[in-house]
Amino acid sequence: MDDEHTAEYTVPCAQCSAVDWGISDEGRFYCRSCHNVIERTREVVDLSFLRLSSRVSTIRGPRKKQAERGHVWMVCEGFQFILKNQADALLELGVSPQFKDDVLCPLWRCYLQKSRQAYTHDPVRSCKFRVRAVGSDSESASEAISCTDGESNPASTAGSNTENSGFWSGSSDTLTYLSARKKRSQSLLSMKKTLALIYLALVWSREALTLSDLLRLVNEGHVPYLNAYEQLPEEMRVTGKDSLIFIVETVPSHHAVHKEAETIIQFLQLPAFPPVSRQTLLHPALLSLRYLSDVNLPDELHPWVCRLLEHTGMMDQTLHTFDPHNHPTLPRYDLQAAALIIVTLKLFFCLDDMTEWHLSNDLGRPKDSGKVFNLRRWYKVMEAALIQAQERRDQNVSRKQWKSKKQIYPNKKEKCSMIKKKRIAEQVQLCFEKLTSCPSGLQDVGPSSFIFCWGDEEKSDGPSLHHMKLDEVVTRRCDFLTPLNDMYWHPPLRRCLCYNSHYKEVEATLPRSFIWLLQLFAFMFDVKPFCLYEEVLSVERRIFDTRLYRGKSKADAGPSAEAAGASPEAQASLNTRTSPRMTRTSPRTAEVSLGTRASRRKRQRSRS
Amino acid sequence: MDDFDRELEPHTDLENDSDSSEDNSSKGGKKSKFPLVKPIYGDQTQQNGFRRTTSMCRERIREAMLHHRWEEAAEYMVYYPQILEDRNLFTAQPSKEFIWRTATEIFHHHPNSTMEDYNTIYERMKHSGFRHYLMISLEHSFHLLLHQQIEDAKRHLASAESWRHGKETAAQIQNIKLIQAYRGLLDYIIWCDKKSTRSSSDYYESDSNQTMQNYFRQASVNLEDILKNPGVWDCFILRYVEMLEFYEHHKEALQVLNDYAYDSNFPPNPNAHVYLYQYLKRQGASEKRLMKVLKVLHALVPSHELMLEYSSLLLQSEKQSDTQKALGVVLEMLDFNCWGSNLEVWMRLKAVIQKLQNQVDWENIVCEKMAERKDWWLALHFTSFHATKDSKENPELFEVKASLTKILCPDLNQDTDKLSIHSPFQ
Repeated sequence: MDDEHTAEYTVPCAQCSAVDWGISDEGRFYCRSCHNVIERTREVVDLSFLRLSSRVSTIRGPRKKQAERGHVWMVCEGFQFILKNQADALLELGVSPQFKDDVLCPLWRCYLQKSRQAYTHDPVRSCKFRVRAVGSDSESASEAISCTDGESNPASTAGSNTENSGFWSGSSDTLTYLSARKKRSQSLLSMKKTLALIYLALVWSREALTLSDLLRLVNEGHVPYLNAYEQLPEEMRVTGKDSLIFIVETVPSHHAVHKEAETIIQFLQLPAFPPVSRQTLLHPALLSLRYLSDVNLPDELHPWVCRLLEHTGMMDQTLHTFDPHNHPTLPRYDLQAAALIIVTLKLFFCLDDMTEWHLSNDLGRPKDSGKVFNLRRWYKVMEAALIQAQERRDQNVSRKQWKSKKQIYPNKKEKCSMIKKKRIAEQVQLCFEKLTSCPSGLQDVGPSSFIFCWGDEEKSDGPSLHHMKLDEVVTRRCDFLTPLNDMYWHPPLRRCLCYNSHYKEVEATLPRSFIWLLQLFAFMFDVKPFCLYEEVLSVERRIFDTRLYRGKSKADAGPSAEAAGASPEAQASLNTRTSPRMTRTSPRTAEVSLGTRASRRKRQRSRS
Repeated sequence: MDDFDRELEPHTDLENDSDSSEDNSSKGGKKSKFPLVKPIYGDQTQQNGFRRTTSMCRERIREAMLHHRWEEAAEYMVYYPQILEDRNLFTAQPSKEFIWRTATEIFHHHPNSTMEDYNTIYERMKHSGFRHYLMISLEHSFHLLLHQQIEDAKRHLASAESWRHGKETAAQIQNIKLIQAYRGLLDYIIWCDKKSTRSSSDYYESDSNQTMQNYFRQASVNLEDILKNPGVWDCFILRYVEMLEFYEHHKEALQVLNDYAYDSNFPPNPNAHVYLYQYLKRQGASEKRLMKVLKVLHALVPSHELMLEYSSLLLQSEKQSDTQKALGVVLEMLDFNCWGSNLEVWMRLKAVIQKLQNQVDWENIVCEKMAERKDWWLALHFTSFHATKDSKENPELFEVKASLTKILCPDLNQDTDKLSIHSPFQ
């Protein structure tokens, strides 16, 4: 009975910080959990002098909800604001304005139309409301609101019947969202989809921002995602069931967003994307340069990565451009570039836990060893930096504040308990903050494309090795510069029919230095090592296995296959000028690895 | 309306579908949403960023505490309480206890912590749910007691005592009993204070006497009540008896002690008999009654130090059979290594045997008692090691033992090895 009067009063109790007020017989407020009586008294609205019947029940009038409800709005409007905020944040970080106006906005409209949420005569909702002409600015949203305002009676009655129906939310169509969610999960929005949409728009506008960059920005809070609903305009009150849509407790993984993006592409039946040519920053040729400098590898490796690209036929822009007919998969640009670097390093240093250290031992001698790239030195510098960076990230993760100051209460029942929990958490937090005199929140890190910092500055992770020479690990044979190392190993390249990665099974048999390299890049992209491993395998398939992988490289593979039986000199002259060594070993290795089907790593020594 | 009830409800997490396709491991993760016996952190941490944060934070706090880096632990504790807002009660519930215990531990070691901090944590966590309310109340008052704030401690216990929530679970009932007991104890402490001030001021004041009487009454209500419950209430019963004795309620005191010692519902507790014996002795009870109590104690703990008194009581008795009993009691004491080098026991043994020698068949009696011991007593008491040690540290003991050797172990004469050590006395 008291709840009608106490519900409004949500100030936590001074004694126990519970929000659970009752009214005593004298009309005073008391806390039900600690029985603390406070000054406040019930405001008795005595209507008995107006009406003859002096029934007590007349006190219970509906006098609050209507006022606090705010405007009626749709869930997709909420997402629109969130998308807009995310895009604005990206623009501020330096993404070109076309990204928002020319790409994201049409994409969003297309999405709304395809999912029959707007621009349609047959809206997906059962409600009568329709959002008209939703643009990308708040003005049109309020316009949409005003046009629905007139017929908002059904919604507001639903609001006042909350206790009975259990439905209580700020937006008008949450229920549709929640009920239809399971069935049409691909057509209705979720927070994860906002990221996928942003990602698609970024790829479309060929921005130099990969998915892992985007997720890192999200994780570091530079792009709003967590508690993004806080930034919604004030008249759009996020309450009740909305929490199920807008509250997120995790930042989705690379894998999940990528998959979501592919689903959206299919759902929207997007046409071919603008071509990702060699000059585009998303193209592995340029992206690999960025990653090379991020992991402190010498710039001289870049031409070799490009030669590998050319050899495998991956320079071709069609391979990197989504096209529903020719190339119906969305490439993982970041992973691909990293895989190319890993394969290049394997070509140079073999990475079988032996050869690379032998090579670095031999390097120890020359006089000008300061200028020559030494893998051991790089490993030492990199390992230290990696451990530090990992520790930094772990610290940041464990200090991340997930819960927002502005809460959404999923239903009325939980409201008071949530206020109380919040209050308790805050007070405990405050108590320790006082004790440690340490400011709450994360130390703000400026957004950066690079994870590591190399050079002589104070905060750098170590000395820069970018200008080191590769002289000692390349040799000139038959007028071609080739890596000194002439061994290459790879796991079986045959594609398995099952979807799961076999990385877990083979991990123990792979060389440690290779695994370490995978982990390094996996850390940088915040993905699981197996994703990267799969990407490395697909590059290796292109190099070696012409029969299994019939892509664009078919034409290149022809002569090398023929050359298998010929003498080394003949091979060298037959082969492309780019990287003779690699092709020379290719047919043979592929055969062996397929023939024995051994899952262990193999070292195939080519003729030298 | 009551948020406590909600803590018991199974939680349904509708929101989580946004991250169900994380990767291959998500299928395993889904299972953990069923109510399991124990909350499992491991599986869910992979799924959910929030859980990952809190579990990593908890690990770091634990690590820092293990290495006594209290400042660092406190720093991470700033970020941990957000777990209280977790809507999944499987994780939120155990974390309350974690926060409460960890926080007090950190305060205990942190250089900057104040009494205020303790009170904040105790109060907040106490009211965060009903499950730990009583335990936290109790620990809070312990903490106040440590800092001499007896009145505050009593106030907290009093409010905890009157606290009830829902159906009383077994754990709740036990905790309530403990709280009752400690409240009684606190009343006793205040009573003691009053007593000491009264005796020091050294004049009879009816007013202070009246307040003392009040505290006595309060304490006795609580203590009397809990003593009805089977259990080990040693420290409580002593205080209660002390107060009863002070007001000369001898009958009640005896009744309480008797019940405590002889009620078969109570777990066997040697101390109960000790307390009864001590009380009877203070009251100057007859030897017969004392011996009766000690006999029970002897059955429970043959090595108890009161057995010395028992044997002396038996010795004083006129009956011949009592002397034999005394021999048995002392020998049984010596069966335990802890009495092996105690001079008093050996002297007592000598006295018993001397008294026994007045009887005709004393040798048979000794032989009979020693029959089961002769195999191992030599090794336990009469080796060359014992001989050298005793002669060095305690010559008197050496002499007593040597004189008893022949009586207790007549076979020793044949055993030349062992004999050699005692040859001076042969």
